[in-house]
Amino acid sequence: MLNYLIKRILQGVISIIGASAIIFAISRLDDPTLLLLPIDATPEMVENLRQRLGLDLPIVQQYLIFLGNALQGDFGNSYRWEQPALQLILDRLPATLELAFAGLVFALALAIPFGVLSAVYRDSWFDNFAKLFAMLGQAMPNFWVGLLLILFVSVNLGWLPAFGREGFDSLIMPAIALGWYPVAAMTRMLRSTMLDVLDSDHVRMARAIGVPNRVVVWKYALRNAAVPLVTMLGIYFANMLSGAFVVEVIFAWPGMGRMVVEAMFARDFPLLQVGVLFSAILFVVVNLLVDLSYGVLDPRIRHD
Amino acid sequence: MKKFACAVAGAASLLLCAGTQAAEPATGSLTIAQAAESTMLDVTRAAAGVDWYILGNINEQLLQPDPTLEVKNWLAEKWELTEVDGLPVIEIWLRKGVKFHHGGELTSSDMAFAHKRLANPDVSKWPHYQAKVDHIEIIDDHHFKIIFKEPDGTFIPGAGLMRLYGISEAYYTSHSEEEIQQRPDGTGPWKLVDRKVKEEFVLEAHDDYWNQEHRPGVKNLTIKIIPEDITRVAALQTGAVDWIDAVPPAMIEDVKKMDGIATTARPSGNNLFMSLPQYLDKLPGRNDNPFKDVRVRRAAALAVDMEGIIEHVLFGQAQRYTTTTPGSAAYDASVEPYPYDPQKAKQLMTEAGYANGFDVNCYNLITPREPNVKEYGEAFYAYLGQVGIRCKLIGEEYAPWLARNNRSREPQNDGILTHMWGHGVVADPGTPWSGHMHCYAPGEGWGSYSHYCDPEMDAMVKEQATVMDPADRIPLLKRIGKKKYEDVAGGITTYVPLVTFAWREDKVDYKPWPWMGFWRKLQEIGIKH
Repeated sequence: MLNYLIKRILQGVISIIGASAIIFAISRLDDPTLLLLPIDATPEMVENLRQRLGLDLPIVQQYLIFLGNALQGDFGNSYRWEQPALQLILDRLPATLELAFAGLVFALALAIPFGVLSAVYRDSWFDNFAKLFAMLGQAMPNFWVGLLLILFVSVNLGWLPAFGREGFDSLIMPAIALGWYPVAAMTRMLRSTMLDVLDSDHVRMARAIGVPNRVVVWKYALRNAAVPLVTMLGIYFANMLSGAFVVEVIFAWPGMGRMVVEAMFARDFPLLQVGVLFSAILFVVVNLLVDLSYGVLDPRIRHD
Repeated sequence: MKKFACAVAGAASLLLCAGTQAAEPATGSLTIAQAAESTMLDVTRAAAGVDWYILGNINEQLLQPDPTLEVKNWLAEKWELTEVDGLPVIEIWLRKGVKFHHGGELTSSDMAFAHKRLANPDVSKWPHYQAKVDHIEIIDDHHFKIIFKEPDGTFIPGAGLMRLYGISEAYYTSHSEEEIQQRPDGTGPWKLVDRKVKEEFVLEAHDDYWNQEHRPGVKNLTIKIIPEDITRVAALQTGAVDWIDAVPPAMIEDVKKMDGIATTARPSGNNLFMSLPQYLDKLPGRNDNPFKDVRVRRAAALAVDMEGIIEHVLFGQAQRYTTTTPGSAAYDASVEPYPYDPQKAKQLMTEAGYANGFDVNCYNLITPREPNVKEYGEAFYAYLGQVGIRCKLIGEEYAPWLARNNRSREPQNDGILTHMWGHGVVADPGTPWSGHMHCYAPGEGWGSYSHYCDPEMDAMVKEQATVMDPADRIPLLKRIGKKKYEDVAGGITTYVPLVTFAWREDKVDYKPWPWMGFWRKLQEIGIKH
């Protein structure tokens, strides 16, 4: 188990370094200096800024400097904000984690009962409703869901705030908008795997020996059907962390995604690099946790 | 010493007509929302237009345009432009009793410090604006002279009006750069109390503000940052905020119909135009140079129904212009935009030898900086096709567009290019005209964004850069404007976007003030009693 863990961590570190190298190289395709100066800046001012930012150095040298500084926790100052890029991202990270976690909770809270019940009551009105719900969920992008929620729940009903991050009320709609798509995907996935599991020999055996149906479904069958769901959960959670920016923009949610996307358009390399690096780290960590959780759910795939 | 007859105003004449706010101390709170967020809060370091949304409320300059766009003496009580030994000198008498947010009174020494800081290229984004100033000579605490080493035609009217901010030397020298940015000091009507990045700015009315006639009528102001248009409008509609900026064009009619909501529109500080390159034959794979011929340039100008584009693509939220817009020193009402006349355009194309038209790349700018810029470009380029200027439409995002536009950068522009550059809603267009109407002169600073070239225009543009006396400068700018129109010089002028503000009229007392054409200066906002 320890060997497996060490191996996975090393793989993760290599992935993170690879991601940082790729984003570093891609971001250097453009020169940000024109964006950082007034339009009538003189050529001397442009050159002076390029030198100050170290952009006049060969790209390999720039990358080595970046890596050397990063190992000491110095990711440089954001070009636009002229503040430490790391701090800017760290300040925004809790909001993004909070939103992604809430979105995931919302998704699971609906997907598990919908997936399980539509499998148990296959071809019933509930199953049809769940399938329709899943189809709608996958057909409606989160920005559209977000805007509809604002117009209906905030403007027409006046129940929840339309924007901001002030208390639990302001988290509800962004979490629904973010979790909407995974609900649909997870419901479909869980229904499908539950159908397989419910049709398996061990479930039939459990029923034959008189185990109550409630226990069969929610304890034994769901646990077996959960492995692919957990895989999906890991992927979606990581996607939510890096892809929450659309929801963050719509609800003026002060998260990291919004800042990173704006950094990309502004060619704010230090901020972009830290943002991507954090996304990569979170992705690696979440995937590692997912892999480790398989063993808990199914002892047959423990990494002994 | 020669003394020019420049604007000299006494203190009594400086106070503008009665505003909407009375002189009693401000109380209460308002929450408003803006679409875009200022990043840099130090006037010396700030470069992006959006930075002035907040800074325009914290910092002030020697001159300030009023709501009618008339430039008034502001921190300067009066000023004179004179000449000593053939070189210009601006003599300034500072207003007395102007207090900084963090204490202390504005003096000549602070202005000299502001000049030094702005001239320092390691700190400043604007050292080129101080490059022709030799030094500042302090006469006394409220009297100083700006001594030039050579004339600078755009120093007085250019972006920022005399280009010196009242910043406290004591504060700036006793705080770190980071602290300055977190809590900037100034003399403006609003003091920054707190800021949460990506969330809000918290401002407080400056109790000791010098201008008792024109000041905020509310004590606390929270500016929320809501980038999404529909959310911002919803926030106003639900009463979560009391005022918003940048109402999206497509929603303006709906917002106007909302109960209790008032709106007003103002021309933004941005001028849009289409650059027509005159050097295509010098680029690989091309032998012709259609835009060198003024008839082709005029044909392009006549080919486009800009009124139609403004009405249907920009939802009426734009204003046509030819030279500049009202409020600019160069504005000339007698120069009208080219009409939509495709027949005449085709005739000009035939006369120029392009009866069968020609193909050209058309670079369509994609940016959220102004609403519907991409759609405007698509419509514009489609109109050109009707008279034989067949566009290969290429969308270009802002950063690569900026590089293509800049003559010193690669790739070299090889087509028509959507362009935007503020010509000064107040002030004048001297700087942008130097940038896009003078021939590109590598290393000399002329024509950095120019795709046009004409020796006569070069001479006029160079002359305006040295003429400081408004009595001579304004007629010269108008002559350049006439030639610009006749020659379709520097591209086809198209429109200036309008920016619309909306607020709850039962609660908010609001009068828009310009600041570099952004109109986010909240000089007079308060609670309606």
